[in-house]
Amino acid sequence: MTHNSTMNLPLVQFLMENDAELLKVPLSGHLRDIYSIYLIQMENNHIEPPTHEQLISFEEFVNDLKFISEVAPGSLSFKRENPLLSQVDELLEYIDVFPLKTLYELYTKRQESSNDQVQQNSNKKKEQVGNTSTLERLINILDFEKSMTTVHSSNNQQHKILSNQLNKILETEPASYELARQRAKEITPVIEYISTCRDHQHSSILASTVYIVNNKIVSMQWSKLSKYEIENPQFMACLKSKIHYVPNLKPQTDLTLGDCSYLDTCHKLGSCRYLHYLQYIPEFLTDEVTRETHAKNIKIKSESLKIPFYTHGNCSSLVIKEQAPPQWIRCDVRKFDFNIIGKFSVVIADPAWNIHMNLPYGTCNDIELLQLPLNHLQDEGILFLWVTGRAIELGKESLANWGYKVINELSWIKTNQLGRTIVTGRTGHWLNHSKEHLLLGVKGDPQWINKHIDIDLIVSTTRETSRKPDELYGIIERLVGPHARKLEIFGRDHNIRPGWLTIGNQLSGTCIHEMDVKRKYDKFIASNKNPNKWHKKDMNGIKSGNQKKFQSQISTF
Amino acid sequence: MIESETTYKVRDSENTKHVSFKPTKEFHTNDYSNRYIQTGSLPQKHVTNIENSVEGYPKLQKLFQEKEKQVSQYASTPFGCKVDIDEMVPTLNRWIQRDNLSFDVVMVGCLTDNQFIYPLLTQLPLDKLVSKPGFLFIWASSQKINELSKLLNNEIWAKKFRRSEELVFVPIDKESPFYPGLDQDDSTLLEKMQWHCWMCITGTVRRSTDGHLIHCNVDTDLQIETQNTRNGAVPSHLYKVAENFSTATRRLHIIPARTGWETPVRLRPGWVIMSPDVMLDNFSPNRYKNEISNIGTNIPLKNEIEALRPKSPIQKAV
Ligand SMILES: [Zn+2]
Ligand SMILES: [Zn+2]
Repeated sequence: MTHNSTMNLPLVQFLMENDAELLKVPLSGHLRDIYSIYLIQMENNHIEPPTHEQLISFEEFVNDLKFISEVAPGSLSFKRENPLLSQVDELLEYIDVFPLKTLYELYTKRQESSNDQVQQNSNKKKEQVGNTSTLERLINILDFEKSMTTVHSSNNQQHKILSNQLNKILETEPASYELARQRAKEITPVIEYISTCRDHQHSSILASTVYIVNNKIVSMQWSKLSKYEIENPQFMACLKSKIHYVPNLKPQTDLTLGDCSYLDTCHKLGSCRYLHYLQYIPEFLTDEVTRETHAKNIKIKSESLKIPFYTHGNCSSLVIKEQAPPQWIRCDVRKFDFNIIGKFSVVIADPAWNIHMNLPYGTCNDIELLQLPLNHLQDEGILFLWVTGRAIELGKESLANWGYKVINELSWIKTNQLGRTIVTGRTGHWLNHSKEHLLLGVKGDPQWINKHIDIDLIVSTTRETSRKPDELYGIIERLVGPHARKLEIFGRDHNIRPGWLTIGNQLSGTCIHEMDVKRKYDKFIASNKNPNKWHKKDMNGIKSGNQKKFQSQISTF
Repeated sequence: MIESETTYKVRDSENTKHVSFKPTKEFHTNDYSNRYIQTGSLPQKHVTNIENSVEGYPKLQKLFQEKEKQVSQYASTPFGCKVDIDEMVPTLNRWIQRDNLSFDVVMVGCLTDNQFIYPLLTQLPLDKLVSKPGFLFIWASSQKINELSKLLNNEIWAKKFRRSEELVFVPIDKESPFYPGLDQDDSTLLEKMQWHCWMCITGTVRRSTDGHLIHCNVDTDLQIETQNTRNGAVPSHLYKVAENFSTATRRLHIIPARTGWETPVRLRPGWVIMSPDVMLDNFSPNRYKNEISNIGTNIPLKNEIEALRPKSPIQKAV
C-alpha cells in the first residue's frame, strides 16, 4: 500500500457511523453537503481536535472518498446527477459498511501495533470513562451543551449536530433588524436620563439629613452628610449622580404600615399615615444632564446630515425635512367622516371602553366602536389599539373586521413613583392589574416598516386616569419614520404633537395645516345640517384658559 | 416657606469646592424605551420590585408568607406523569373514566412556542377534567393565544369557560431561558419579550362571597422573571399565581411540548405534572385520591389570611 499516508481514517469512521443518514433526505448523498457535515463534525470533535490534515478541501475530500472506494472495492458507489457535469457533482449512491469496517480495523490494528502512544492514550480514555460516577454520568447527560459537542459513537449524532445548526440558523436574525437598530441608535434624539439609586441605606441616611417643609426638600444638614460619607464612601458620589427617593416623614407617619399605595399621587398627604417619598435630584445634576443631552442631540443632528447608506423605510432627506406641525380636529368620532382626513401609515386608537363606566369623559359604546369605519384609514399600515381587560377580545374582533391582522401585543408595565409595578388597590376583578395591552394590527404587507428595533414592552409611570405613556410615540417614529402620516383617534390635548393629526371630542378646537384636508373638512362642516349641535354640548367641558390659548388656531368655530 | 440656599452647600471632599445640593424642582421621569435604543438596557430591568413584588407593603408581604405556608401545608406529594404527547389524551381519558379523577386547577402549556395545545384542547373532555367551579390557565406565546381565541371564543367553549384575566410573564433579558427568541417570529414588528396566559373560570364563583374558594387581588396579572427561576422549564411564578388565587388542592399541569433535556420539568408539591420530559414518573391515581381525601379538596379558611387579604367592600343588604 503506497497510499498509506493519505488514507483518511476519520472519514472512514464517519461513513461507517452515518451511512444511512448521509443517503437519506435531506443530504441525499450530495457530496458537497456530506463534506460540510463532515467538517462540522471534525470541528465539534473535542476529544480529538482536528489535525491539519483532517481539515481538507472539498477536492481532497472527494479524492479521499475515491481512494477509500478503490482500497475497499464495493464500499462506496457513486452516481452522476447530471452526466454533463464534472465529477464534483456526483452523488454518493450507496455505502456498504462491511468492507469499510474491515478496512478500518485493518488500519487501526496496524497503527496500534506501530504506535504505542496511541495505545496508551486510548487506554487512558477508557479508564476515565470507567471511573466516572453515576452522578457525573447523569449530569453529563443533562448537560446539553456538552453533549452537543461530544461525539459519541452512537448513530444519532448527526441529528444532534443538525439540530444544533438548525437552531443557530433560526436564532440568527435578519441583517435588516440589526441595521435598523444601529441606525435608530445613530439618529434617535437622546432623552434626558438619570439612573435611580437602589441602595435603601442611602434613602434612610437622607431621611435623617433633609429638612422638609410643605412636602418639599428645603435644606440638608451637610455636617451629617459629611459624617455619613466617612462611613459610606460611595454615598456622596451616588447622591451626585443618581435619583434618590427620600422618605417624607410626617408626625402622623406610621412606619409599620409601610408605603402608601398612592405615593406621590396621594390626595391626603396631610393625614395619610402611610409612608410617602420625595424625589431628590441635585439641581446641578439635572442641569448637567440637560447640557450633555443637548450637546449629544446637536451632534446627532449634525452627523446625520450625511445621508446614511441604510435608508430603508425612511425618506432619504430625513434630517433636513421638517416634521408636519401638530394638527387636531375636535369632533365626535362616531359621527365623523373619515374620508376627510385621507390615509395614514399609523393609527393609534384609545377608545374609552364601556367597561369603565365611571371615567370622567364620555365613553364610546363598544358596539359603536365596532361600527366605526376605521377600514377607510389605511391601505396598508399599522393600527395600535389600546384595550383593557375584557375588551381585549372585542378589540381583536374589531381589528379583524377592519381588515387587520393582530401581529403583536405590546404590554405597558405600569409603575409608580418608586419604579415599582402596581400591586395594590384591587385594580382588577380577579387579579390586580399591573399592565395594559396595546394590540398591533397590520393591514396589507407594508415593506417600509423598520421591524424589531424596539421590544413589545413599555415600562412607564402612570399619570392621569387613562393617559397612555409617551414612549409609544418614540417606538412608532422608529417603526415608520418621523415623516409618515400619523393619526390618533380619541386623543386629548396632551396627545397633540408634531407629525400627528389628533381627533377626539375633548380637544380644544381644531387646527389643520394640510390644505386638502382643510378644504374637505370645511365642506363637511358646511354640508352638515346641524354642525354645532355637538360642539355646543362639548364646549362645557373646556376650560376657558385652554379655549383662549387655542383660539387663534380654531378655524371653524 | 423657608428657603436658605446656603445650607445646601456641602464641602466636596474631592476638590474642596462648594457644591450646591439644592434640589431640582421638577419631577424627573426616565424614558426606558429611549434608553434601550441608546444603550441596549432592557426596560423591564428598571422595574424596582422584581425580586420582591410586594416590597414596601408589610401587610401584603405577611399575606404572601402566610399563603405560602398554608399552601405547602396542604400540598399533595409532588407527582410526575411522564407520557408522550400522543398518549396524553388517552391517559387523561383513563383518569376521568376509570379513576374518576378531576381537578380544580388545570394549567396547560409552558413558556415555549412548540406546543400542541390546540389538539389537546379539542380532543380532551375538559369539562369533565376540570371540576366546577374550576380554573383553567393556558400559557403560550401571545400569537398562539391569539390563534386559540377562535376556539375559545366559540359559543360552546365560551359558555363553559369564561375568560377572566390575561396574564403576562416577562423574561428579564435575552439570555434568559424564557426569552422567546425569533422562533415563529417572522412577521412581528416588535421583538417579543413576553408570554401570555389565558385564565378561564368554569362554574360560578363570586369574589365577594366565595372566599373559601378564591382569594382575589392577591397576585397581579404580570410576572417578571426573578433571579433563581432559571433551573427548569417552568418558572415557579406560573404555579404561584394559581396557588394564590384558588384554595383548591387538586392541581394538574399538562405540558404538551418537548422541553428538552437542558430545561428539565421539575416536580412541585401540590401539583400533578404531566409532561414527556418530567423528571419523575410516580403518579398513581389511587394514591393521589387517598392523599386528597386526607388533605381535603380545599385549603381551609385561616383567620390570619382572612384579616390580611384584599376583599371586596362589604355590601349591605338593601
Ligand atoms: Zn444612592
Ligand atoms: Zn397616602
